Formats: sequence, structure tokens, C-alpha cells
Amino acid sequence: MGSRWTTLSVNWSGLSVFALVLAGWEAAVRSGMIAFEFLPAPSAILMGVVELVQDGILLQDLLHTLLSIAIGWTIAMIIGVAVGLLLGFSPLARKYGLASIEVLRPIPGIAFAPLGLLLFGFSLQTELVVTVLPTVWPVMVNTMGGIANAQPRLTDVGRTFRLSSYEIVRYLLLPSALPSIVVGARISLGLALVMAIVAEIVGNPEGLGYGIVREQQALHPEYMFAYIAVVGLLGVILNAGVLAITKSLWPWTAPRQSA
Amino acid sequence: MKPFAKLTWLGRTVSQLPSAWGLLPLIVALLLWQILQTGNSPYFPPPSAWWSGLVQIAAGGQLLAACIATLKTIVAGLALAIVAGIGLGVLIGTSPRAARALGPLLEFCRAMPPPAIVPLAILFLGYDERMKLTIVALSAMWPILLNTSSAIQHIHPLLLDVSTSFHLSRFERIRLIIIPSVVPSILLGIRIALPLTIVLTLLVEILTSIQGIGALMIAAQRNFQSGQVYGLLVLVGLFGFIINNAFSIVQAVILRRWPPRSVQA
Repeated sequence: MGSRWTTLSVNWSGLSVFALVLAGWEAAVRSGMIAFEFLPAPSAILMGVVELVQDGILLQDLLHTLLSIAIGWTIAMIIGVAVGLLLGFSPLARKYGLASIEVLRPIPGIAFAPLGLLLFGFSLQTELVVTVLPTVWPVMVNTMGGIANAQPRLTDVGRTFRLSSYEIVRYLLLPSALPSIVVGARISLGLALVMAIVAEIVGNPEGLGYGIVREQQALHPEYMFAYIAVVGLLGVILNAGVLAITKSLWPWTAPRQSA
Repeated sequence: MKPFAKLTWLGRTVSQLPSAWGLLPLIVALLLWQILQTGNSPYFPPPSAWWSGLVQIAAGGQLLAACIATLKTIVAGLALAIVAGIGLGVLIGTSPRAARALGPLLEFCRAMPPPAIVPLAILFLGYDERMKLTIVALSAMWPILLNTSSAIQHIHPLLLDVSTSFHLSRFERIRLIIIPSVVPSILLGIRIALPLTIVLTLLVEILTSIQGIGALMIAAQRNFQSGQVYGLLVLVGLFGFIINNAFSIVQAVILRRWPPRSVQA
């Protein structure tokens, strides 16, 4: 979805609409047409970003959020792929485990925030609890699905060619499950960003999420908007970055529709 | 099982529920937890304490009210998101020019993690029901919008040619060609939006302590009522489980009327 909108040659009409919206916003605030007490003009927000960068605090918050996403996502990937492979390869594990997972999966990640706070207080651990638990599922389910769907057919093919079990797994099953695993990893990364922001808002007073709340409570709307803009930009960059990387590594895993 | 047998991927997921034996590890873990507990751990209370925690809240009459408040926000927010998402999605999907012009703006809005707008909405709208609904609707709208517009853009040109050669009226064209082609995608968009609405509703309730399950959770944590914290966690899980499965049934019923098309551009 995003690929069609962003990878075509420069989308001038789109960019000009973007610019027009910003210009209209600026004009409306300056002329006093919109007299919201808390609505800063885009130029004021930009100045806010510059000031926060000069102060060094924005970079610090950005690094914190990036680090928590990286740690949380890595843990989720390890658990998700490991359990997903087990469930995918072993019908026995599916029979005696899948229903437990299906029961745990719908618990919204945010619900673990009070639990994390109870156990760890306001800390990075709480942030990781909130980030890791919900991000495990997409990887786990997609890994399991990728293996289980490919298994009977490709195993037969492998047997016909007299491949060993190792060779069947290594050269047939894993490659055919890869697109599905990559999709799971991508969904998880997007989720990790969302959950890290959630955790920083309620559970760990650090990072970009906390920056938004801090500036809201300090009644510095221009700084608050600056943080929101940076968070949005981070979302765009992460999304486009992962899409570009997976596309160049495994072109056949590119998404057909938005997921 | 029978009614879903005719369906495609969805029918299979509904009718092929995992074996109930799969609940075994969970049940064993909870039983062990209950048996091996060392008395009154302030952090890991036994499952029996979870239950008594919930009973405690229910006795105060807050539990039912909170569940209703949360459910109301989720349903109303989702309804708003569906209306806005489909409306804007149709507008953008039917006009390539609009799609191109609004593309980068929408891309930015979509990539924005929804929780980031919560403090913004609180600042502008204050602590009330309107703010809750705005946040939930705004964040759940994007997947529905994008899936609707993408489905319309992907309708096979052949289908539209057919409708022209059969001299279908505008109304017939919408009823016979467009709706059947986009309904499965719209449902998929709603499915993606669903967990988001639950997360956002709870987040707002936790942040603002406005009535709801989220408010109860954070109150329990602040009072160090660990039994209540775990009990509410299970309750929220159950909530998510029921909402997800209720939607699966709705989805299955709707897809029986408009099954997914295999003809796609």
C-alpha cells in the first residue's frame, strides 16, 4: 500500500498538499483565525524541535526509545521464532499448546502495564514487559503458520528427492516459511514502536512517549507537538526502512496489500 | 461446524479451532502456581487471590459499570471509525487524483503511533467521553480507510468493463460489482483495527482514570492490590477474547453473503 504511494517518482501533488496544509495552519494561527490557546503554528513547532535538539534532550529521548524498541523486538523475535518453529514442526506441540496461546494472545499489551508497574515500578523492565509480550504473537503465529503450511507437501517432495531430514528443513521448509516470518517480524516492529510509546506514557518516564506527556503537563504545546512530529517521523522511517530492507533481501516477501 | 464449512480461509480458521487439549499447559501452570505458592507474596498472588480480588471489586458495584463503560467506548469508537474509514476510503479509492494528492499526508498519519495523540487530545478536549471517542475513532480509522481504498483500486478492470457492457445502472454497479469486491477487505481492516481500539480505550482509561476497566487496573496497582491487578488482567484478556471471537462470527456471517473474490487485479 505504502509502497505504491511512496516509491513512485516524486509525488509533487501529494507533497504540495502536505505543504498547503502546513501553510494554511500557519496562516490560520498567525492571523488569529483559529484562537486555540494550545495550538502552535508549524513554524513554532519547528523552532521547538530545534530548541529541543540544541538542548540535547530530544536526542537522548530518541535514543532511549530506539534502544527499548531494539531490545524489546529482539527478545520478541527470539521467543516468537523459537516457539513458532516448535509449534510449526511438531503436531504434538500444536495439539498440547496451541489453545493456551490462543487464549493468551487476545490480552491487550497495555493490560500488562499495571502488572509491570506492580513488579518493577517505573523502569525499563516495565517498558520491556509492555513491549515484548504483545509483539511476540505476530512472529510466533507467522513462523508457525509458515512452517505448518509448507510441511506435508514439501516434505513429500524432499523424500522423493531422497533428501535427509536436515536438508528438507534447511533447503525446503525454512526458505518457504521465510516470507511469512518476515511479515510477522515487520508487524512486530511496528507494534514495538506503538507499545514502547504506550509504556513510556504510563510506565517508564523516559523516551519520546514520556516527552509528549511531560511537555503536555508543562503546558509547552510547541514542544509537545515537536515530540509528536518526531514520533510520527520515526514511524514513517521505521516502516519505510524495514520495507526497503526486506524488499531488497527477499523481493518475494513484499506485501501485496496493507497489513 | 457445518455452517462455516463452505467458507474459505475464514471458515477454516473458525471451524478448525485448536484442540482443547492445548489448554493443558495453561491449566497445569495455574494449578502449580496455586499449589506451590508460599503464602502472601505481594507480587505473585495465587490464582485464588485473583478471583477474590475481582469479587471484592464486584461487591463494590464498580466492576459491571466499568465493563459497560469500556465496552461502550470500544463499540462507539469503532463504529465512528468504520463510518469515517469507509467514507474517506471510498472517496480516495475512487479518485486516483485524490489518492495521489492525499497520499503523503495519509502515510504520515498512518505511521503515527496512535498513543502519541492521546496527550494531544487530552490537552485540547479535556477529560471527557468525547476525548475518549475521538482518540479511539481516529486511531482505528486508518486500517479501515487504507483497506477500503486499496480494495477499490484493486477491483479488476474487467469487472468494470463487464458492468459497462451490460449497461448496469450506477446503483446496480455499486451493488453487484463494487460492494462484493470491497467487503472482505473492509472486514480485514476492521479486524486489524479491533485490537487497537481495545488498547487505546484502556490507555485513555489508565491515563485519565475516567471510568472503565483501565481505571480500575491502575487504581488496583496504585493501592498495591496485587490480587486485583492479576484478576483484572485475566478479565481484560477475556474481554479481548470475546470481542475478537464475536467479530469473527460477524465476519463469517457477512462473508457468507459476500465471499472473497478470486478475481483481483
